[in-house]
Amino acid sequence: MFTSKKEIILNINKIIFSSLDIRDVYQTMSNELLKVIDFDRLSVTLISEDNNLFENFVLSKDYEDTALKEGVLYPMEGSLMKRVVQFREPVIVGDTSEGRFLTDVVLCKEGIRSRLGFPLEYKGKVIGSVNFGIKQKDYYSKKHIHFFSQIAPQLALAIENTRLFSKIKEAEKKYRDIIESSPDIIFECTNEGEFLLMSPAVEKITGYPADQFYRNRGYGLSLCHSDDQERVQNEIFLLLHGLRGILLDFEFRVIHKEGMIVWLSIEALPIKEGNTIVGIEGFCREITERKKLEELKNNLIRDVTHELKTPVAKIEMAVDMFERSLKTRSTGVPERGAQVQEILRNNIGRLKNSMKNILEISRLESGMEPLKVSNVSLNEVVKQVVSEMTGAATGKGNVVVNDMPSDLPTIRADREKIYQLLVHLIDNAIKFTEQGKISISARVLPDALEVTIGDTGRGLEEEPKKRVFEKFYKETPSAYGSGIGLAICKNIVQIHKGRIWVESKGKGMGSQFIFTLPLQRTVS
Amino acid sequence: MKEILIIEDDQEMQEFYKDMLQGEQFTVTLASNADEGLKKAKEKNYDLVILDILMEGVTGDRIFAALRKDSRYRNVPVIMASALDEKTYRCFQALGNVSFLEKPFNKENLLGEIAKRL
Repeated sequence: MFTSKKEIILNINKIIFSSLDIRDVYQTMSNELLKVIDFDRLSVTLISEDNNLFENFVLSKDYEDTALKEGVLYPMEGSLMKRVVQFREPVIVGDTSEGRFLTDVVLCKEGIRSRLGFPLEYKGKVIGSVNFGIKQKDYYSKKHIHFFSQIAPQLALAIENTRLFSKIKEAEKKYRDIIESSPDIIFECTNEGEFLLMSPAVEKITGYPADQFYRNRGYGLSLCHSDDQERVQNEIFLLLHGLRGILLDFEFRVIHKEGMIVWLSIEALPIKEGNTIVGIEGFCREITERKKLEELKNNLIRDVTHELKTPVAKIEMAVDMFERSLKTRSTGVPERGAQVQEILRNNIGRLKNSMKNILEISRLESGMEPLKVSNVSLNEVVKQVVSEMTGAATGKGNVVVNDMPSDLPTIRADREKIYQLLVHLIDNAIKFTEQGKISISARVLPDALEVTIGDTGRGLEEEPKKRVFEKFYKETPSAYGSGIGLAICKNIVQIHKGRIWVESKGKGMGSQFIFTLPLQRTVS
Repeated sequence: MKEILIIEDDQEMQEFYKDMLQGEQFTVTLASNADEGLKKAKEKNYDLVILDILMEGVTGDRIFAALRKDSRYRNVPVIMASALDEKTYRCFQALGNVSFLEKPFNKENLLGEIAKRL
């Protein structure tokens, strides 16, 4: 079947623009081209941005076993392409064995004997070249140049389109990667509440997959905590009506699929088309952990304040009561005096104790105080503490039993700190035990000493068991004591690289406070 | 005579209440813990309840909530006494008809607050 050259050119141009990526139709194009220009090797090479390299952009499929490979960059210097680009005109190589260009030498080894390089120009700039190669010597001539000059401009345009298209695809992929890997929820929605974008992070944060948001209009709002819904709705309203330019660090709660409360901080902007606001876009960051810490900090401040203010308040009220009794003489002044004295002494004692403990825990937590380590006999320290505290214990009808084995090895520790540790633990046991027994026992583990302070007192439920070592935690907020004693114990044990925990079978079942201190055995 | 229920677990605070309120024109009943307080509230219709916020066992906020569940106490005035300031307990406002009395308070403060609420 005979086809005219004109038709072939038309056909080639059609093929060139049938795809956004020239590489997809390259093979079809070269087959069509073969009808009018013979070649064994056809490549399109493009100049790199700095003009020093060229990329073998695309190569005929049936010529893959070559030293100049597709997708690889080669130096411009000494290549046929350099010459084509420099003079902006086609170059014919009659015999590659003469080695005019470095690329001739390479291709000659592969059997290519003659070549034609054709510049590709786009908007007056040479962007690369099309290179024909054939195993026959002195093959290419002016007629080939004439014919191909009718295709080259279209090919250049198509290649430029391909490059642009790849750039867009690349940018789009980058954008998608950012959105998909972002730990924050990135979103876009219309003013009708329809989501145009909801990043996958939403599933990790709320438990609901993104497509649920795409499918249901206003789905985001329905997840809001009922106490926050109105605030959120109001902020969105302000954004959509141009009454607020930007929403920054707005914090609200949503309910996770599993029912937990999740705190989010949102930043959002209106999306404008011309002067019309058509939606909002922005991101939400999860801040639940931060909120929990804030709450913890606030509780801590509240508890310290309460602990320090209460005794001062009572001292003031006691003085006030005494003054009134002097004025009215309604009650016997001496009796009132004795009562007031008692209250004052109690509360000054409580205040002093709190202050001492606060200073102690601050010192421990700062980590600035070096341990004064020596060989410490736990038996000796326990004996001292027991004899000092038996008085306080018997006052509440308790017996203190020293059950320590007599043959315990000594440990390397700060004696003063170990003394404090035992005082706090035994004091704590006495405080919560009446008419009972407090016992101190120990055993030797392979690499540590384990000491148990047990009592038959009030015992602990699950929640307080978890929290007793927290600073200022008190199961009974109004109870006497600073709520720091056990936090100090934990600190002392930790700086000695030991462990401390509590065991209790529940209310009224007594408690066992157990700690370990490492044994440093000398290796002989 | 108006009836006042004071739920306060601190012995010394109880002494202050007794001292400040003796000889005044109302009957005062003291309860030393949450259970006792709620039990006493059921036995009689009090006109005013004074609550310590941080209390043994059940904290004041939970007693307060329990009290409001009882139809007779749905709207009885409650005074919450605490060494902490009102700000810390803003959430109690939701339970309605509540005021705060910061410790330390003197006889005038206490009587003034009671008079306002009765």
